[in-house]
Amino acid sequence: MTTLERESPLRAFFTVFGSFLQGMKVTVTNLVGRRKITVQYPYERLTVSPRYRGLFYLPYDEEAKRLKCTGCTLCVQACPTNVISLTKLGAGKHGGVSEFTMDLGRCMFCRLCIEACPFEAIYMGPSYTLASWDRNACVFPLEALAVGGKAAVEQNFETITAALAEEEAQKAAKAQAAGEKAEHAAKPAEPRPAAVNPEGNGAKAGPGVDGKNAEAPAVPRPATKEVSV
Amino acid sequence: MTLTDTEISSTGMRLNLGPQHPSTHGVLRLLVELDGEVIHSCRPMIGYLHRGLEKMFEARPYRQTIPFTDRLDYLASLNCNLAISQAIERLGGVEVPERAQYIRVLLCELNRIASHLVFLGTFASDLGATTVFLYSFREREKVIDLLEAMTGARLTYNYIRPGGVPEDLPEGFAEGVRAFLDEFPRALDENDRLLTGNGIFRARLEGVGVISPEMAIAHGASGPVIRGSGVPYDIRRIAPYEVYDRMEFHVPAFAEGDCLARYRVRIEEMRQSARIITQCLREMPEGEIMTKMPKIFKPPVGEAYSRTESPRGELSVMMVSDGTPNPARVHVRAPSFVHLSLLPALLPGTKIADVVAILGSFDTVLGEVDR
Amino acid sequence: MSVQTSQPARTAPGGQLVLGLILTLVLVGLVSALAYLPWYLLAPATKFIAAHPVLNAFLDALVVCAFIAAQCLFLIWLERKFAGWLQARLGPMHVGWKGTFQTVADAVKLLLKEDIIPTHADRPLFVIAPYLVFVPTVLAFMVLPFSLSWVGYDFGLSALFALSISTVAAMGILAAGWGSNNKYSLLGGVRAVAQLLSYEIPMVLVVLAVVMLADTLSLTQIVQRQAGLWNIAAQPLLMAPAFLIYFACSLAEVNRAPFDLPEAESELVGGFHTEYSGMRFAFFFLAEFANNFFSAGLAVVLFFGGWLGPGLPAPVWFTLKVLLLIGLMMWVRWTLPRLRIDQMMGFCWKLLVPLALALLCATALWLVKG
Repeated sequence: MTTLERESPLRAFFTVFGSFLQGMKVTVTNLVGRRKITVQYPYERLTVSPRYRGLFYLPYDEEAKRLKCTGCTLCVQACPTNVISLTKLGAGKHGGVSEFTMDLGRCMFCRLCIEACPFEAIYMGPSYTLASWDRNACVFPLEALAVGGKAAVEQNFETITAALAEEEAQKAAKAQAAGEKAEHAAKPAEPRPAAVNPEGNGAKAGPGVDGKNAEAPAVPRPATKEVSV
Repeated sequence: MTLTDTEISSTGMRLNLGPQHPSTHGVLRLLVELDGEVIHSCRPMIGYLHRGLEKMFEARPYRQTIPFTDRLDYLASLNCNLAISQAIERLGGVEVPERAQYIRVLLCELNRIASHLVFLGTFASDLGATTVFLYSFREREKVIDLLEAMTGARLTYNYIRPGGVPEDLPEGFAEGVRAFLDEFPRALDENDRLLTGNGIFRARLEGVGVISPEMAIAHGASGPVIRGSGVPYDIRRIAPYEVYDRMEFHVPAFAEGDCLARYRVRIEEMRQSARIITQCLREMPEGEIMTKMPKIFKPPVGEAYSRTESPRGELSVMMVSDGTPNPARVHVRAPSFVHLSLLPALLPGTKIADVVAILGSFDTVLGEVDR
Repeated sequence: MSVQTSQPARTAPGGQLVLGLILTLVLVGLVSALAYLPWYLLAPATKFIAAHPVLNAFLDALVVCAFIAAQCLFLIWLERKFAGWLQARLGPMHVGWKGTFQTVADAVKLLLKEDIIPTHADRPLFVIAPYLVFVPTVLAFMVLPFSLSWVGYDFGLSALFALSISTVAAMGILAAGWGSNNKYSLLGGVRAVAQLLSYEIPMVLVVLAVVMLADTLSLTQIVQRQAGLWNIAAQPLLMAPAFLIYFACSLAEVNRAPFDLPEAESELVGGFHTEYSGMRFAFFFLAEFANNFFSAGLAVVLFFGGWLGPGLPAPVWFTLKVLLLIGLMMWVRWTLPRLRIDQMMGFCWKLLVPLALALLCATALWLVKG
């Protein structure tokens, strides 16, 4: 549509008035001809996409009776805002975590931790109702994040400590079989918790990306959880 | 006794437009001196959204800087991700697979449409036509749903990484995009009938905030601001990145230099983005989507500069590496920051209502102005 | 998994409109009944009241105020719902059935708000401004005829009275703008006064044309003269442009888009009522909607035959016509952008005033000839 200069005033008047009527036709078309797109939350809710970045969850391995998380701290190192702090439970093949706290008040929901994890042990789910009245309620402990809740965490602890104790026993047996030297190298039976503080995050290198597709695992997701304090 | 002009002395009224103001598109403060309705001088004051992002980049490894770039230009966050990823790739000499390049272009153009729809809605609402805001956001919701299906997020996507993209297109994504693009031209035509042709809209914008091409070039304008003054300057054509050199699209430029021209540039750009997206979907090859990057990424000492065409203009990232896992210095050249420097030259002589129109036509985002 | 859509099932929009219209009609009937009910109930008492003029006048005023309040409640709800439907959304839905009690909830909220008077505000002006704006509008309602007998106070000069009393509101807006000690308010107040006084002129000229045709200044008689055919149908060549000019002027008088620069939200935050909160703001809001109803009512009286119509009782016809006209005003408001102040002035003085003068001359010529 050309500009209105050099048009006679009468013609300009009719052009302008006509444009008003055209605009009003558009609005009345929307009044009668289009659906109303309001979704009346909280009575109606939209479903989020499968890749939606909501509340985190740590899958639980039914066969091994433990959480998949081995406490490797790659997620802690990958996080740009120091959200995760965890307490390792042992090390090596049977390693795990006894505490895994995420301060979601700091979290950007950027997914770098998900991509860093090599054990498919942390995912983001569809739960987005995370608002609370208290800052402390933003800190999610392992019981709130693990699939299966408190029971899973306790079972995890038992399984891992049992496995670690058995490993120790086997090592001790081997050492004893080797002779007196084993007694000097005997270690206490309880697992040593090695708290990993996320303070020195900047100095550690970020984990590499190996281009694997992080598909959602075949474990049940937790139901949408109302977080209220 | 009659009072002549020399006997009446009056000072101008100083008014603060912002930082809390419905129309300054963020926390921008404009200190204007008014004579009635006419502006005598104007001083933009920024810094209300400064978060020290460039300093934060220096304290983190390269991969961890990407989520922060989302918060620069939060309406076109994929473009900011792309700018910094390109800089990192150039520092480290990393090649991005072809499929990943197509996906990046696809995502950036979808984001361009979403950003321009926000511009459309807020610009019209600033001028009083509140209904257009709802209509444009209705269309934008479809784009955001598509991007959510792809990335998992609706505003701060964090989806373009050095080396490629983290995940491939989900099932049904291409069909969803095509369905959206089928309806989108109708929505733009409806908007033209409602707004672009409207007599009051044109009267508000024609001849307002005219920027001559020389002034635009002198102040370093880019994007729709300079294309609205007739200079067809588009980074995607001048220094093509990713697969833009294979894409057929028209760079819209209108010579009037007023707010209406800048508005029309953006509307036309949305149509061209739709064309680019269709071509991407058609021509995308199979293959890898991410080049393997080392766990601890230590690029060689040097610097890299990456230029992209964001919906606001030329968004460029300068990155300096000193061989450590963290960058030594990152600077983001934000187009909105440069456009704000035009205001003290442009605003004197205009009225308050024009200020709103001019600011809206620049489409500034304070996130990238203040960083 | 496929990309999810976000469109839940809903009634067809055409059906929604029909339901909306039926709902509107029902509500109009209810509200009218509520406002007019006291007359029927107090039938025995009316004789007593009629014998005491002072009491009569006082009760007239009370009924008018009650009616204004009830209609404003309804109009505010209608505005929000209509705006919602135009914008492809639903509007208030939560409070009451389909949001009908939303306005009541808002009124309660406003009553409970803290009464803030800014420091260094000109206290007398700040306090009196809402009343200066509200009272003239209520006074103007006194002469608006809902039917032959249902007028607050019918006298021979009611058209002149209506026009002149509604201009006093401009003083209140200026008082609000100055008294707030806020540059934005001052700008809004100054713009508002310029706009209101300028747009009075074409409005008066057009009303004058209608008055000339009807040969009387009394609003009730103007309606009675339209008994055969409404004015706009009786002399379409003169009355249609007159109605358009009057419509534009009434939009400007009520500060509605495209003439809502004094309270332009996106430029001046709130314009002249930025600093007002609580019940003081409620008065401005009520005054705006009352003025809306009044302007539309005057248009109906002048051009659309007032209360005349077959079948339904006279006040219901009147209210229905007014509501249709208000619907048109809302439709225009939510479609068109805002005019800048100098454009608005130019539109008035360069377009409307000459047109109105020409119309007046044409009416005079027509009267002389025919």
